[in-house]
Amino acid sequence: MSSFPLLTLTAALPAVGAIATAAVPAARRTTAKWLALAFSLATLVLAGIIATRFTPGGARYQLTESHAWIADFGVRYELGVDGIAVVLIGLTAVLVPFVMLAGWHDADVLEAHRPNRNWRPTQGFFALILLVEAMVVIAFESTDVFLFYIFFEAMLIPMYFLIGGFGDRAGAHGEDEQSKQWREAPPMRAVVGDGRAKQRSYAAVKFLLYNLLGGLIMLAAVIGLYVVTANQLGHGTFSLPQILQARAVGRMHISAVAERWIFLGFFFAFAVKAPLWPLHTWLPNAMGEATAPVAVLITAVVDKVGTFAMLRYCLQLFPNASNWAAPVILVLSLISIVYGALLAIGQRDIKRLVAYTSISHFGFIILGIFAMTSQGQSGAALYMVNHGVSTAAWLLVAGFLISRRGSRLITDFGGVQKVAPLLAGTFLVGSLAILSLPGLGPFVSEFLVLVGTFSRYPVLGVIATFAIVLAALYVLILYQRTMTGPVKAGIESMKDLRLRELVVVGPLIALLIFLGVYPKPITNYLNPAVKDTLSDVHKSDPAPQINAVAKETAK
Amino acid sequence: MNPVNYLYLAALLFTIGGAGVMIRRNAIIVFMCVELMLNACNLAFVTFARLHDNLDGQIFAFFTMVVAAAEVVVGLAIIVTFFRSRHSASVDDASLMKL
Amino acid sequence: MTTATAVSIHSLWTTLADSTPGAATTSTAFQTPKVEYAQLSPILIVFGAAILGVLAEAFLPRRSRYTAQLAISVIGLAAAFAAVVALAADGYASTKSHIAAMGAVAVDGPALFLQGTILLVALVAAFTFAERRLDPAAHGNRVDSFAAQGSAVPGSEQEKAAVKAGFTTTEIFPLLLFAVGGMLVFPAANDLLTLFVSLEVFSLPLYLLCALSRRHRLMSQESAVKYFLLGAFSSAILLFGVALLYGYAGTVSYGGIADVVGGTAKLTPALANSTATDALLLIGGAMVVIGLLFKVAAVPFHMWTPDVYQGAPTPVTGFMAAATKVAAFGALLRLLYVVLPGLRWDWRPVMWAVAILTMVIGAIIAVTQTDVKRLLAYSSIAHAGFILAGVVAVSPDGVSSVLFYLGAYSFVTLGAFAVVTLVRDAGGEATHLSRWAGLGRRSPLVAAVFAVYLLAFAGIPLTSGFAGKFAVFKAAAEGGALPLVIIGVISSAIAAFFYIRVIVLMFFSEPQPGAPSVAIPSLLTSSAIAVGVAVTLVLGVAPQYFLDLAGKASVFVR
Repeated sequence: MSSFPLLTLTAALPAVGAIATAAVPAARRTTAKWLALAFSLATLVLAGIIATRFTPGGARYQLTESHAWIADFGVRYELGVDGIAVVLIGLTAVLVPFVMLAGWHDADVLEAHRPNRNWRPTQGFFALILLVEAMVVIAFESTDVFLFYIFFEAMLIPMYFLIGGFGDRAGAHGEDEQSKQWREAPPMRAVVGDGRAKQRSYAAVKFLLYNLLGGLIMLAAVIGLYVVTANQLGHGTFSLPQILQARAVGRMHISAVAERWIFLGFFFAFAVKAPLWPLHTWLPNAMGEATAPVAVLITAVVDKVGTFAMLRYCLQLFPNASNWAAPVILVLSLISIVYGALLAIGQRDIKRLVAYTSISHFGFIILGIFAMTSQGQSGAALYMVNHGVSTAAWLLVAGFLISRRGSRLITDFGGVQKVAPLLAGTFLVGSLAILSLPGLGPFVSEFLVLVGTFSRYPVLGVIATFAIVLAALYVLILYQRTMTGPVKAGIESMKDLRLRELVVVGPLIALLIFLGVYPKPITNYLNPAVKDTLSDVHKSDPAPQINAVAKETAK
Repeated sequence: MNPVNYLYLAALLFTIGGAGVMIRRNAIIVFMCVELMLNACNLAFVTFARLHDNLDGQIFAFFTMVVAAAEVVVGLAIIVTFFRSRHSASVDDASLMKL
Repeated sequence: MTTATAVSIHSLWTTLADSTPGAATTSTAFQTPKVEYAQLSPILIVFGAAILGVLAEAFLPRRSRYTAQLAISVIGLAAAFAAVVALAADGYASTKSHIAAMGAVAVDGPALFLQGTILLVALVAAFTFAERRLDPAAHGNRVDSFAAQGSAVPGSEQEKAAVKAGFTTTEIFPLLLFAVGGMLVFPAANDLLTLFVSLEVFSLPLYLLCALSRRHRLMSQESAVKYFLLGAFSSAILLFGVALLYGYAGTVSYGGIADVVGGTAKLTPALANSTATDALLLIGGAMVVIGLLFKVAAVPFHMWTPDVYQGAPTPVTGFMAAATKVAAFGALLRLLYVVLPGLRWDWRPVMWAVAILTMVIGAIIAVTQTDVKRLLAYSSIAHAGFILAGVVAVSPDGVSSVLFYLGAYSFVTLGAFAVVTLVRDAGGEATHLSRWAGLGRRSPLVAAVFAVYLLAFAGIPLTSGFAGKFAVFKAAAEGGALPLVIIGVISSAIAAFFYIRVIVLMFFSEPQPGAPSVAIPSLLTSSAIAVGVAVTLVLGVAPQYFLDLAGKASVFVR
């Protein structure tokens, strides 16, 4: 046990930052922004320290902390990170500052009309982002199922306010134009504004209800887990290391039926969060209505908790049930991949298009996890990182684009590359990353997932490969329609990226290229953890010669 | 006479009272039906006291009477204010709140 | 389950009969009953304060009554709470558990825990009762939520004169104290007579309190009539059940009936006759349980709840929703765990059904509500269902989880209703949900506090609601009621929907023109709301101490 509670500190720092930011007086909103950014950067530093203090290939869970919390429920405050958690904490800590920078002015719209002197939307916006970061980080760190569950659920609340309270004002510009035309008929305008607010709160409620339902079903499973451990060990526990150890020495044996039910309860919650077809329908709404930075927060940060939890909890706690359910889950993830890609092609709204590509990509991640091969799972873990970075880059640029035009409709754009070449260029790089161009991060992970899947399920691997073609289609069609061609009305005076925006996009693109060329630093962290997980589910890689090839590729 | 017959009578009175509460619409009559139910209880208590040959039931009956008296005080006060403000004691008129 | 603390079991009226059967009727020797005044001190203090309040009402000049009454109530309740703590610290909650007053009142863990909870709730409720800043002053007098003169016809000259003269109904404080006294006895009652009398002692003042609203007086009187008639009806049912149980067992003491049910009692010829068939026992037990289920507002005995909660003055609603539920669940637990454990194979399936119905119907009907107070009423019904899930666990864990849930829930409820009193327009409290639209824009703090309460109702982690829900579901699952847990979880999801709807309304809807304003409360209501939030968060984040407390207090004396 480490004497210095580094993990607690990493999670507590953004939480403290949230409180500090929220406490900044209403008039000092710029101070609040810088304060929040400073806290997120400090968290990044701590995440870096975690990465250096962590020894890949050492003990499975490192930097552990363990304290009694609610003895009656068998709950302990137990933290510990494996390689995957370290990488994902890093991803979270890296992305949040960019999210903040990109959303620097997102809350300003709400400042316009202040109903009273305590009205502080800017402070609220940044405080909520920091709160989400704190909860996501502690969810990655916890090794106690109950502790994880608490924050898995609790993070819904700040997310909900971010979506519902600070929705996309993309329509705002259009509304103003309309209001000029409809000045004679003010009620109409009220209807339009009201409709947008309605849609936004609909999206927020849908997000919350889906995830809450998933979480509550998981709660039943968590209680089931408690009953099982209480029966088997004499005292109920949620501690992952304790349960794994008890099972390793044969003190615990969950009956197949109980294991399957509890597994399904857990998996349902994670599949909603991830999201997996057919539980995905909240994502396009939530991402469409949220501002681009918040959408990044949803898909690149919060949703990762779902896939991460599948690796950490579903596979490790319920290896037999995982093997039992794998075929169905693989099929579902395959449907996700193809369905997400197909619907992305048909979208008219840029952000909804991104949401469907994310569904497709989450399909890849889940496919990799449940293919139960080392390449598949390393690929899936790496994919979480790459998807986070690439989607962040792509979607943030898309967000800049949308806020400039004030519309999310693809048809409202055209010929952007002539007026804003930097914007178009960075958008292109992001797009290419999304379609997994070799040399950029996602390629490596997608390749690993496909190889890993193919070595065990050749047919699934082949079908998934076709999805890459679809990816090329939706990405390039979007680029062609928005960036090339004649300059459309409303685009002529579009400004190119500002310095703040370049600061957001530049590093992310650099990171994408780095991950594409040299992913080894990351895979070094991931591979030992994946090996441990695979040994939990009693799986080894099927064919050695494929294995060797894949290893080669990984390096 | 077999004391068990008093129990049947008590049950009958109780049922009549209960039915009255369900069916009647005048608050005063409903309240009287409740009193009838309490009296049925008293009869049952006294009969059981006789059957068991101990005093518990009889003493219970006294307490019930006191409680019923207190209930009358409170209940009539409420019903009378209700009646004065609406000039009706029908519980059907009492529908300011929807179900 | 029940303790083995070896306390000799007496029936209140048959101490002599125990040694010489049948002698009680002929005995002429009168024995002074032994009453342990110290152990009953919380109850006695509250009743003493209540009587003092009545005297103050009679003899003090009108001007000084408000202050005096408030002081008497607060000091009385605080002293009674101190007495409860002293008794618990003395070991009466565990090792020295005891049946006091000749077998009438139990002094044990559950009783003391619930009495402590009721007293704290009542203390906070007394603050909301005394609030005089919310309504605009009438003729230069600060007014509270209660009618100037209960007997004056609404809208009459008499009422106007009463308002003009600055009358206030300070009787509410003694009424509150009497109700609290009855509630203290109710969960501790150890024979059916005490149970019945204490039920009436706390119900009658509540009926009166319901009728005394300053605003919406017709609605308030209507709620009082409904509450009274249905309450009297249900207590008549309970009483008949008591009669039948007495007929079955020949005694009204809990221990005595449990012995007869368990087959360990000495069989007299009369007893052999009455226990020959179980009809008396089953019907009697069922009727008593129905009487109690009415008080906890379990489906299908919940019809009164929404109307009464909506019509009663909001501070009274808050007190009623919190304290009545605590007291009634305490009595229900004691009845099921002490008197009828021998019948648990009979009552468990029934209580299963009641719990499921209560959870599901409470949650579903709440979805359609448009009035905040009715919404909270249906939510309280749904919560009664969750608590029943802990009751059917039939284990010490079940008892402690119910105790914990009651403690957690009562403060959330009290706080939520206190917030409702703040949102006002010209007609008094604006309870229609549409009037709450955009509250988060205009009064972020009040809306945020209410949102915390709603999240606690919904059982979101890090609030007391989650800890409580987890405790009862865990106990139920361990007791083999996993289907109940799953249904409970699903109805939680349904319930979450309408709590979330209110949050959406408050934060994401545009305020309407002419929307109600939020009154700035005095320290009284503010502290009530602050206590509620503090308890909600503390029990959510660090519940261990209180779970321990409830765990230690989970053993009934017999």
